[in-house]
Amino acid sequence: MGADIAPGVPADLPPVVERHGQVVAAGDQRATLADFRPDRIGQLVASAALPDRMSGSEVLSIAPGDGGLMTAHIRYSGVDGERIVLRSRWIRLPQGWRVSDVRNVPDTPPVLAPVELGGPDEPYWAAAREGELRIQRCGGCGEWIWAPRPICPACHGFDLEWPVVAPEGRIFSWTRTWQPFAPEVRGHLPYVVVLVELPAAGGRRVLGVLRDADGADLRIGLPVRGEFDPPASPAAVPLLRWRIS
Amino acid sequence: MTTSGSLYGAAAVVGIGTTPYRKRGTAPASALRLTLEAVLAACADAGLDPRSLDGFVSYANDSNEGIAVGSALGVHEIRWSTMVWGGGGGGVAAAVNAAAAAVACGQAEHVVVYRGITEVDDGRGSYGRGHFPPLLHSHGLLTPAQICALRTQRLLEVDGVPRSALEALVRADYAHAQNNPAAVAYGRPLDPAVYADARWISEPLRLYDCSRENDAAAAVVVTSARRARELVERPAFILSGVQGATRGWSESAENETSYTSAGFHPELVRRLWDGAGVKAGEVDVVQVYENFSGPAVAALIDLGLCPPGPEAGRFMTVENLTAPHGRLPINTAGGNIAEGFVHGIGLVLEAVRQIRGTSVNQVPGADLSLLLGGPMAPLVSATLLGSQRTLAGR
Repeated sequence: MGADIAPGVPADLPPVVERHGQVVAAGDQRATLADFRPDRIGQLVASAALPDRMSGSEVLSIAPGDGGLMTAHIRYSGVDGERIVLRSRWIRLPQGWRVSDVRNVPDTPPVLAPVELGGPDEPYWAAAREGELRIQRCGGCGEWIWAPRPICPACHGFDLEWPVVAPEGRIFSWTRTWQPFAPEVRGHLPYVVVLVELPAAGGRRVLGVLRDADGADLRIGLPVRGEFDPPASPAAVPLLRWRIS
Repeated sequence: MTTSGSLYGAAAVVGIGTTPYRKRGTAPASALRLTLEAVLAACADAGLDPRSLDGFVSYANDSNEGIAVGSALGVHEIRWSTMVWGGGGGGVAAAVNAAAAAVACGQAEHVVVYRGITEVDDGRGSYGRGHFPPLLHSHGLLTPAQICALRTQRLLEVDGVPRSALEALVRADYAHAQNNPAAVAYGRPLDPAVYADARWISEPLRLYDCSRENDAAAAVVVTSARRARELVERPAFILSGVQGATRGWSESAENETSYTSAGFHPELVRRLWDGAGVKAGEVDVVQVYENFSGPAVAALIDLGLCPPGPEAGRFMTVENLTAPHGRLPINTAGGNIAEGFVHGIGLVLEAVRQIRGTSVNQVPGADLSLLLGGPMAPLVSATLLGSQRTLAGR
């Protein structure tokens, strides 16, 4: 024991959180689900990643958080020594305290199952493996082309170049995704996809996953700088990560 | 202002049919079986022998080709079999237009437009298949919800459309569904507090901003104006139909030119109104495809039915959007969000009911009924339906 309970945490919450950690670690699914907000059980269950087999849990802290919710950090131990921390946010409903959202901390990007590469995008991925951002441009008329195409849509030239472009721009739009749309995103939710406008590529826009997005106050127009994460596995692709500069 | 080569008044919808909307994964039969049931119902509604269907049209890569449906029905002859390429639900009105074009040119006489989905046959997310290449997928952009979330975020944050506009649209859908026993949300009114506190799907979209896929099928029968008058009392005439994507719109990995547009670009909108000789303000009722709330609001803005920016909030109120007396009733059967979602085909049926005067949320004297397909999809489409009165008036 030794959980860090901040001032302002209602006295009836810590025992609930403590017990929650225990039933989760024990693999007691019925008791675990009973702690979730009933309108989002499916989303919560598929959001967090835990060790396959657990030996115990430890409540690290509980503190008041945003929107009147209470924030708890619980560390789960796997039988193989793995340690995973989940942050849950708790709401008091008429029937008692319930988990309103949960995530793994720290935040990490989803690594999607390898997809079929090839076609006009191929030079982008090849450059990304070298840590470079390259964007397609027509060698004839200079038109920046994105998404990549087999022909310049402006002049119909087939002489297409791939100049290196500075990975700097501004957030054109963003979305923070909470729904587990694929099994691979479990343990990485919520994550933020940003669409970034690149002045160095004629204002063309590229996508990426924002770094340090947990709790970030996002606004369209914020300046960002990007770099590639190396592939998470030999079969995976490098991921363009943006950071608010 | 009928012009040579125009669709105006040349074809009409004479039959509509649908199966129940079931929770995804729970249909007791295959998508083909459901489709056949819907086609038979549409033919019965039209008083037409199903064997006399000679044209088959669908969209969004429906898993059952026209020849499969036609041969299963033992039709005398298949003369027209057409799939609208691209755009998912953006092809729904384009499919109706393709059927109208076929009968207008004498390529076929009785064309059925259909769409059927079951999770067992089509899998999850069948509505977005093929539109998530590696540049999107690798970066965690896996579904139409997230693309529409990105675009809606900018619609709200930069264009200044208030969130209340999205909420009004969803609440109008739910209000209409309360009068529609066939709607999935029938008997489940939406409490504004529940809407506002629902779980995030992908910000700025929460659960009730999103349509949720069902197992079902629906169909409509399109025939020539002459034949329509023989078959039914109140044909829903196709006055104008458009489909399209402007330069730089499709397959652009979020580089679409007018990013917060729904894709109904100005030339397309002009063709729609000019084709029918009507103005936006004359439309009586709209079935606007709501894959998600934000794109539907953007569609109404594109069409000039709702003012852009902050002013959209003044127009988009539950009162204005609700039948019978709202200024512009929308989605009067509940729409994709509250009636049920089978890639928007249900919206076609309801657009026809409004012309017939048989909607559960009938707009009194509705003569001009607009169908808008698939906002923010790579291809979008629209059909303007009109009553006999709208034809007689010119």
